[in-house]
Amino acid sequence: MIKGGALAGLIFAATVGLIAIGTIWPVSTAAAYVGGGKENHIGSSSTAEGAVEALGTQIRLQQLSKAYSSLSNKAKFTEADFIHDLTGYGLSLRTYATLDNFEVKPLHQSANDAEMVMKLHWSTPVGVFEDARDLHVVKNGETWAVAWPLVPEQHVPPQVIRVNYLRWDVIYSGSGDDWGAQDVEAPHVRIIDMHPVNRADGMVVMGELLNEDVVPSFVSVRATLLAKNGSPIDTEGPFDMISHTLLPKQITPFIIRFPGVDLSQVGSIHLEPLSVLVSASADPVIEIQNQKYNPSPGASATGQLSNQSGHTVNVAHVLSTFYDKDGQVLWVAGQYIDRTLQPQIPVDFRVSVPSDLAGKVSSQRIVVSTYTNGSSL
Amino acid sequence: MQLPLKSYDTNFHIFFASHYANHWFEPWNPKWFAGFSQTTYPPLPQQWVAVLSWILGLNVAYMTVQFIAILLLAIGTYRFSKLWVSPRAASFAALASVFLGSESFLVYSAGQLSTTMAAPIYLNALPFVFDWLRYGKWRSFFKGSVLLVAAAAAHHATLLFGSMFFALPVVGLVLLDKSRDDQDEEKTSVQTLILRALTITVLVCIAIAVVLMPFWIDLIRYPVTQAPIPHPSRANYILSPQWGLNYFIVPYGALILALPFIIIRGCSVVRLRPLMLGFWLAFLVGLGGTTPVARMLLGRAFEVLTFERFTYWATLLALPILGVITADLVDRFRMRAVVPLTILGAATCALAVSWSTFRPADAANFDVQHVAEWLNRDGHDKYRYVTLGFGNKLSRLAIVTNANSVDGESNSARTLPELTEFGGAALTSAKYFAKPGLDSLRAMLNHADRYGLKWVIVRDPYYDPLLYFAGWRQVDMLDDKTITIWSKDGVPPAIPMNLDQIPPRWQGILWGTLPFGSSLLAIAVLFIPDKKRRGLSVEDVSAFPTNVMSGGIIS
Repeated sequence: MIKGGALAGLIFAATVGLIAIGTIWPVSTAAAYVGGGKENHIGSSSTAEGAVEALGTQIRLQQLSKAYSSLSNKAKFTEADFIHDLTGYGLSLRTYATLDNFEVKPLHQSANDAEMVMKLHWSTPVGVFEDARDLHVVKNGETWAVAWPLVPEQHVPPQVIRVNYLRWDVIYSGSGDDWGAQDVEAPHVRIIDMHPVNRADGMVVMGELLNEDVVPSFVSVRATLLAKNGSPIDTEGPFDMISHTLLPKQITPFIIRFPGVDLSQVGSIHLEPLSVLVSASADPVIEIQNQKYNPSPGASATGQLSNQSGHTVNVAHVLSTFYDKDGQVLWVAGQYIDRTLQPQIPVDFRVSVPSDLAGKVSSQRIVVSTYTNGSSL
Repeated sequence: MQLPLKSYDTNFHIFFASHYANHWFEPWNPKWFAGFSQTTYPPLPQQWVAVLSWILGLNVAYMTVQFIAILLLAIGTYRFSKLWVSPRAASFAALASVFLGSESFLVYSAGQLSTTMAAPIYLNALPFVFDWLRYGKWRSFFKGSVLLVAAAAAHHATLLFGSMFFALPVVGLVLLDKSRDDQDEEKTSVQTLILRALTITVLVCIAIAVVLMPFWIDLIRYPVTQAPIPHPSRANYILSPQWGLNYFIVPYGALILALPFIIIRGCSVVRLRPLMLGFWLAFLVGLGGTTPVARMLLGRAFEVLTFERFTYWATLLALPILGVITADLVDRFRMRAVVPLTILGAATCALAVSWSTFRPADAANFDVQHVAEWLNRDGHDKYRYVTLGFGNKLSRLAIVTNANSVDGESNSARTLPELTEFGGAALTSAKYFAKPGLDSLRAMLNHADRYGLKWVIVRDPYYDPLLYFAGWRQVDMLDDKTITIWSKDGVPPAIPMNLDQIPPRWQGILWGTLPFGSSLLAIAVLFIPDKKRRGLSVEDVSAFPTNVMSGGIIS
């Protein structure tokens, strides 16, 4: 029989050993809580890549003070500037974002400095956006530190802007109105183009919708795929891949995805446009500047959005329709802008095109829908 | 006085109880997940809450059942401890159970009514199991079996893991005592012990299979295959000290100071070794991701289970040894031991109780009545709804509204693919699960037409941009504009769904009869008087000669 003292010693040793193993090589689930999901999560600044990894981990864990303290160029800006650079200077998608994961790609390294790219994948309520930062990493003694490329806040001088935009208000018959079942005729909308294609992850239906009425309309499209025998396969909507509020004569693209459905299964497609009369205004006016199409590699539509109104737009969604040489819709894609649109300060956008379609793009058209905090009702 | 109502799972249990109170024999509940079966969760504590609610109302009934569980724990701890240590030490163990941090943590923060109800029933069953195994008493066999079945009806996982952590040490104790029997006039062969163990195991398993039959049928038909949902009890408590505080410091409290002595005493006394090993294993598993043990032992279940209940079981297993240590200290130092031990016990309990205030499970304390009234009027309840930013008030709302939701708090009951494929928990808390939670929410909103989901009730502006760009329109505001209601046009009225999952009538009758009946039977059998136990009673562990057991006693 084992002596009690020996057994106790064995249990103490085993417990300490197991805790040490679990701490040095944490299981992936536990490592995820310290910013990683990697086998050895403990960030080390003894290498250039390790310093960038440690910075990314601190940002992921929202230890922003610690991250700021580790920077080599922190004397050039304040901690508040650093935090605002990551979380936004005003209410924007960045304010709502949490860092989902990040990648580090070394570009160049010498004994005393290195160049790296850190791609930050932020999760927001409207989806994921990527933020790529070119980092200069410098060696200071035995450790490496990252020089953060701060994107400074831009200011416009105080001024008065004269606005002259159209606005439509709707008077409802009473507070008991059931929204969506209004006792007025729905605005006239029409699908002016429709194009189904097969993609790797399923079928998509693209098209454009026109508000041909003289009043604004809240719109959507419901697409039902019918098999060759007439039975329904699936019904889907465009979700956020449409501009839901259309002013008179405005056009919005839409794209509806049917994951796992092959075009060969489909006999016909039933598209049902939905429209409801709503209050709307032409404000804010977003001007699209320097719009151009960049062919492969990295085919995309790029440009800048400029807010011509006098108030801040919190979130903007850019929808781009790409056409072939016959003017048929080839692809519809979108990008959320992660920074606020301050009046008169241009913000870059970039909407990518799948590489297999890039060569067929002949022209494109950009539509921007905007969200301003507190103006939803 | 209503602190237990603030815990994380309280509203979940009260929601289930509310359904039982109104539809005792109808397990199909349309209020969550576009319809789900309540047979996905053992019903006993919620059914007792339902029964008491007819007199006391749901809130007081919930706290009454929780209070009964706490009382039963003291009794169960005393009875279980007496198997291992002297009655005096067992008394100290029972007293310590009142101050147990892990119990207070489960009651006031986690709100795991089923766990806190099942464990004491299980502890009360084990002395009968011991008597059956050691002495072959049929009366004990019957009582033990009935109590084990009632424990399973309260919480199946407690019985499953309890067998490993609690029952196996008891079997080990019987085997150890058998060697002492060899010196006594009464001798029991190993074959007899094995036969008795198999008999009670098989019969209890059959009884549990019958009593919880709708649960097993549902589990087989719809096995849990959903993506794992993160839970911080799986963190490494050293690397993530905030979770170490939550899941180790608070539940153990001053018991941490006693851990080395529990190990030393448990190892030194041979008769305590099975108990000590059960404690050690539960302790290691309860550390979640701090050691690789839980991951290795549980496999994929590691990603599904939460580990605060393992800590709870570990502390229960430590109590008998703690009782011995306490008895020794009190005998030796009298008031100089009593005073600091009392302070430490009270501080442990106070920390765990107050933890629900320092780190509230649901910080938002607001009334859902106005939301319920809105949903209940003007035909709004023809459609389904989902809340965002409501936390566990989601369950409170479901109790008082006629409308049905696509969301819910029971991770094991949901079958809608939008909820199970991404790794998020309740949609109302989607943002706390980052990308998986938000992907799940987007998928659900995208399929609003399919589920008749017309209303999104928001108490967190975080979600406003998503709703705006996805084509939802804000149509009303409640409670001084802190709650907004968003609507989607063109959504058809909700129709009954998941019809193939509705349990047949006979399952509803079984579900309303057998689990609750098992608890009534358990109460009844306790009135059957015990015969005087034969053989040596455990007056003190030091009564066992160390030369027989090869273990010294440190005092």
